Amino acid sequence: MRSDTLNLTWIYTKKIMKAWFQYRSDALLRSVTVFLREATGIIVIYFTLLKFDSLNGWNMYEMFFLYSLLFLTYGIMIIFFTGLRDFGRTVRDGSFDRYILRPRGLLFQIIFANADWFAAVGHGGLGVVLFLISAQKVGIEWNVWYAVYYMFAIIGGVLIQGAIFLFLATLNIYLLETSSLKELFYFNMRKFAGYPVSLFQKPIQILMIYVVPFAFVNYFPSQYLLRKDDMQQYPEIFLYLTPVIGIGMYIAAYFFWRYSIRFYKSSGN
Amino acid sequence: MRLAPYIAYLKKSFLRKSAYRFDHLMSILSTCLRIFIFWEIYRTLYGTRQEVDGITMAMVTTNFILSMGLDVVFGMDDNFIPGKIHDGSIATELLRPMSIKGRMIAENMGSSVFKLIFHFIPALLIAQIMIGILPPASPMMFMCFLISALLGYGVMWSISFALQMLSFWVITTWSITTLKNVVINIFSGTMLPLWFMPEWMDRILRFLPFSSIYFTPVQIYLGQLSGAEILEKCCIQIIWILIIYCVGDILWKCGQRKLVVQGG
Amino acid sequence: MSLIEVSNISKSFKVNKRKSGVTGMLANLLVPKYEIRQAVKDISFSIEKGEMVGFIGPNGAGKSTTIKMLSGILYPDNGKICVGGKIPYKQRKEYVGNIGVVFGQKSQLQWDLPVIDSLELLKAIYRIPDEKYHKNLERFVEILDMGSFLHQPVRQLSLGQRMRADIVAALIHSPQIVFFDEPTIGVDVVGKETIRNFIRELNAEDEITMLFTTHDMQDIEKVCERLIVIDKGEKIYDGSLLGIREKYGTTRQLDVEFARMEQIAPIENVEIVELDALDGKKKRFVFENKKVAINDLMNYILQNYQVRDISISEPEIESIIRKIYNGEVVTV
Repeated sequence: MRSDTLNLTWIYTKKIMKAWFQYRSDALLRSVTVFLREATGIIVIYFTLLKFDSLNGWNMYEMFFLYSLLFLTYGIMIIFFTGLRDFGRTVRDGSFDRYILRPRGLLFQIIFANADWFAAVGHGGLGVVLFLISAQKVGIEWNVWYAVYYMFAIIGGVLIQGAIFLFLATLNIYLLETSSLKELFYFNMRKFAGYPVSLFQKPIQILMIYVVPFAFVNYFPSQYLLRKDDMQQYPEIFLYLTPVIGIGMYIAAYFFWRYSIRFYKSSGN
Repeated sequence: MRLAPYIAYLKKSFLRKSAYRFDHLMSILSTCLRIFIFWEIYRTLYGTRQEVDGITMAMVTTNFILSMGLDVVFGMDDNFIPGKIHDGSIATELLRPMSIKGRMIAENMGSSVFKLIFHFIPALLIAQIMIGILPPASPMMFMCFLISALLGYGVMWSISFALQMLSFWVITTWSITTLKNVVINIFSGTMLPLWFMPEWMDRILRFLPFSSIYFTPVQIYLGQLSGAEILEKCCIQIIWILIIYCVGDILWKCGQRKLVVQGG
Repeated sequence: MSLIEVSNISKSFKVNKRKSGVTGMLANLLVPKYEIRQAVKDISFSIEKGEMVGFIGPNGAGKSTTIKMLSGILYPDNGKICVGGKIPYKQRKEYVGNIGVVFGQKSQLQWDLPVIDSLELLKAIYRIPDEKYHKNLERFVEILDMGSFLHQPVRQLSLGQRMRADIVAALIHSPQIVFFDEPTIGVDVVGKETIRNFIRELNAEDEITMLFTTHDMQDIEKVCERLIVIDKGEKIYDGSLLGIREKYGTTRQLDVEFARMEQIAPIENVEIVELDALDGKKKRFVFENKKVAINDLMNYILQNYQVRDISISEPEIESIIRKIYNGEVVTV
């Protein structure tokens, strides 16, 4: 990054903060709301496992640990990729036309003009809370190597989800409305990624491992640390693939974006 | 009261719903997937057990299909009033010779009818083929189910109505409506069958309106309630509609007064 | 070579053809029909540096599409655009630093922030040096009289104030070419005049090349020297503001005041309008100058009736353009 790009990033961030704090109490309430909304899945798991003790061999804390990775990665990702998540709206209201008219990278503008630090606090906060609750209780002997592994897994998980967002955003160039597609392939999948992928039937497993590879965001990294029995049905190599898949998917999504941008039709009046 | 303009609004919102074809297909798939996944989770939880606390797997499945299906149909436009307050059009809306509440109901019904026909029923058919749903306990129970579901819609509508009224005082109601959805998701039985709530939670929920939305109709459908119990539960639904609607209406009147005092 | 060279560009869109009503909706849901709408058909023109060109046409004529292609937002299907040696839609980053675009319908200012914050953001985006930024800002703020609301959030501004701020936002990086898309829409009379003066001054002093679309005839008459008229995606006129009268202003009117009440027998190809002013003594004769020779008509009237006064008038440019908008003028 050149220094003036860094400077622009900083100015974008300052302006976003300033706009948010125009309504201070609302900003706070929003973060809390995001936190609680995302906690829905956890609360459901909590009540379910109060009744049933374990799910496919995973107890409550192990489930929390599985969930925590999902939120830590999303919390980091959403700082950078809110603009891609909301890209459909950006296209429809004409803001994307304006990005094109400015002498800066399009992706750069989409990302930094929309960074959502407050949602990030909500999601990331939930991830941290779950991690702190569960990390002690799931019997992991933390060491340096585990910590390094964990960091790479988070980076990989961020890239996998970022690539999905970028891919879905690119589809907006071809389709006017993609929010249901996003709901189906991203947000629904993410809800299910909160559960061990092994409990689903083959078609869903294939979907979550090979198509929308959420299994690599949290399931396989958690398995590396937890080594539950249900791992035996998958190749051992899956435990190490998260960063590779993240980088590969992101590059592929980026080229799809670059290729598609020429077909952009401004939404008109 | 002339109904024609309301029916026009109902039709308009019905048609508006049909604008995005591809998007619509995707949302049906989304609903099916959600039902399917929860079915998978509970299949694993049940394992080889025939029943848990007298509830069979088939009953759990039926609960998911019906309540998630109804959840789609009962979706409300929570931004109807807030949007109008935010952009200032509420003032002109109030001058029109028709009730804005009536219009709100009409528009909600329009989109609900659309979603019932083109979302709920296809999703139900797919779920029936893929998983299988229990038939209603009896034709009589099915009729009671329909009535109770309509009352459930009323509860849902009045909750949305009352919360929307807060937008006279709060700048953005996004947080409020999102929190509403969180609470409804957890406590109305769409993601967590209410049979399996711990005792202490159950006691709290008895004093809240959420089980009146989907769970009461589902229980009637499954034939879990006797005639007297059905009557009792439906009365509770009606009481909730009245209480929440009245609260909303008081807020509505105060809000209008505030609007007049401030001049918009 | 001219500054802006547009040769034979075309652009079409695929639009979903919707039928109305409940049955139409069902049909759409099951078998959607698309049709290709040709927004721009084979348009060519060139603009020299420092020119000020009005770009007009009825709604849906293809003005916005052309502006979007010129500014690099859309790729043309066919044809070529070259501005200052660059191809807008291919060399985007190098190109857009040198242009400014004002969309009257869509603000580029940050809704919740004061105007000055948006300008500071633009300073960073366009890498404007401090000195130039402050010089431009001071000058624009003075001419457009913006001092009073520079520090107010955009959401609190009136439409006219917002538009002025938007114009400054599009010009703060000193572009050499500026595209205005409806820059006076919704602005009150005084505001419009301020904006027009500003545009004229900028064009005269800085030699900025400008192209703008508008629906306000006054904008055109007061600001433009040259007009490009497009209709249904095709260019139908390109020339001076006065020249348009020669091409389309073929209607003439002859106002005659008679010495007494006259009953005029119908004349072929001439429409006779009663002007109420002097109890039916004054009448207007409207005709096409291609169909009726003015000499003949005048002679005929003078020979047959007692005339006190006579005057000929040509149509106003405004009314010609309005006729083009309304589709009353057929392209020759």
